[in-house]
Amino acid sequence: MRDGIALAKLGVPALALVTENFWPQGDFIAQAAGMPEVPRLRLPHPVAGIGRAAMSVLAEQICAEVIARLTHP
Amino acid sequence: MSTLLSAANEEDALEQLHAARCTDGLPVVIPTTARVARMVLAGGLDGDLAIGEMGPLGGVATVEKIAVAAVMAGCLPDYFPVVLAACRAICQPAFDLAEMQSTTHCIAPLIIVNGPARLACGLASGYGVMGPGHRANASIGRALRLAMINIGGARPGESDMALHGHPGKFTFCIAEDEAASPLPPLHTSLGYGAAQSVVTVVGVEGPHSVFFSGDADDPQCAERLLNTLAAVIANPGSNNSHLGGTAAVVVVLNPEHAQILAAAGLQRADLQRELAARAVTSRSALAALNPHLLLGHGDPLPAVRNPANLHILTAGGAGLYSMVMPSWGAGPHGNIAVHAEVVLGQFCELPWASA
Repeated sequence: MRDGIALAKLGVPALALVTENFWPQGDFIAQAAGMPEVPRLRLPHPVAGIGRAAMSVLAEQICAEVIARLTHP
Repeated sequence: MSTLLSAANEEDALEQLHAARCTDGLPVVIPTTARVARMVLAGGLDGDLAIGEMGPLGGVATVEKIAVAAVMAGCLPDYFPVVLAACRAICQPAFDLAEMQSTTHCIAPLIIVNGPARLACGLASGYGVMGPGHRANASIGRALRLAMINIGGARPGESDMALHGHPGKFTFCIAEDEAASPLPPLHTSLGYGAAQSVVTVVGVEGPHSVFFSGDADDPQCAERLLNTLAAVIANPGSNNSHLGGTAAVVVVLNPEHAQILAAAGLQRADLQRELAARAVTSRSALAALNPHLLLGHGDPLPAVRNPANLHILTAGGAGLYSMVMPSWGAGPHGNIAVHAEVVLGQFCELPWASA
């Protein structure tokens, strides 16, 4: 979350990928860091450790949206 | 200035504080204006003075807000200089407080007190030093936690994402048993004089017990003790073993174990060097456990790459057990210890003011 905020503050297009379980913490950090509207995309939880095949499926699902939101914020 | 709340009585005030998630779940002393003012006075500093910023919320830790935490925790005013020093320590960027408060790891700050402040506050350093029953230890550690909750904004499942936490997140404050220790006091190894009072704060897991029986007839006794301590430090399931050995580890020797090592002629620097060299795990053994989480280089991998990050002190009752406290290691500064001097003698009791 903080990486996304740091990039956004530098003017670099950023989209924080936040899993379901960490969504409230993402909101908290965004508020605390003074960027409540910093772009973020909700992912299922967990992502870590789900295996290469499941990760590929997830990447396919979100890839277009990630590119779209980074290129047309 | 802090926000003033109102309540019909102390019971209602307590419920209000619980409902606002301003407590650690246990009852607190209600931080009335008078109690907070007296605590501020004990610090010898202006209440509006900013000590630092506490993440992840980024709240400004003023002397007054820290005093609120100290009152809530049950501190006597005499303890407040230690609480202030602990807050000053954890606000140093090297402590990575915001990351530490946000991580899924269970890490919690351990406060180690050295110097005359131990005696001024009546801090325990002997039997049950990490357990209940010691007012100064319990309330000073709790004050730091309440400051981290209310100024730093750490609330479980919302901003503090520790999967389990550990009981030391309620309170975790010890003093070194300088009288029983054959080693010079811990803070003197950090460049302070023995007559100074200092808090050393390290983010750590809960204590891991080390079981060892000395044998005066065994010339290898110190050697075996070093190996036993190193085996616990190099626990292959720990972050320290996997994440490159950047993080600090605290070793609390009971006085008997400390004497065994001192009798072998080992000073603190020798112990740090010997333990760091022995607390290693082969790369293949770790790769078999967590192949994707290995950040270290070389083989074998050290649990503590820099011996200076092994903080060794004496505390607890005499007997079979010492304690090792591993840490987290994933903060930008690698989870190292920080320290700050406790400024005593700033408090002048005025009989008319405390009447």
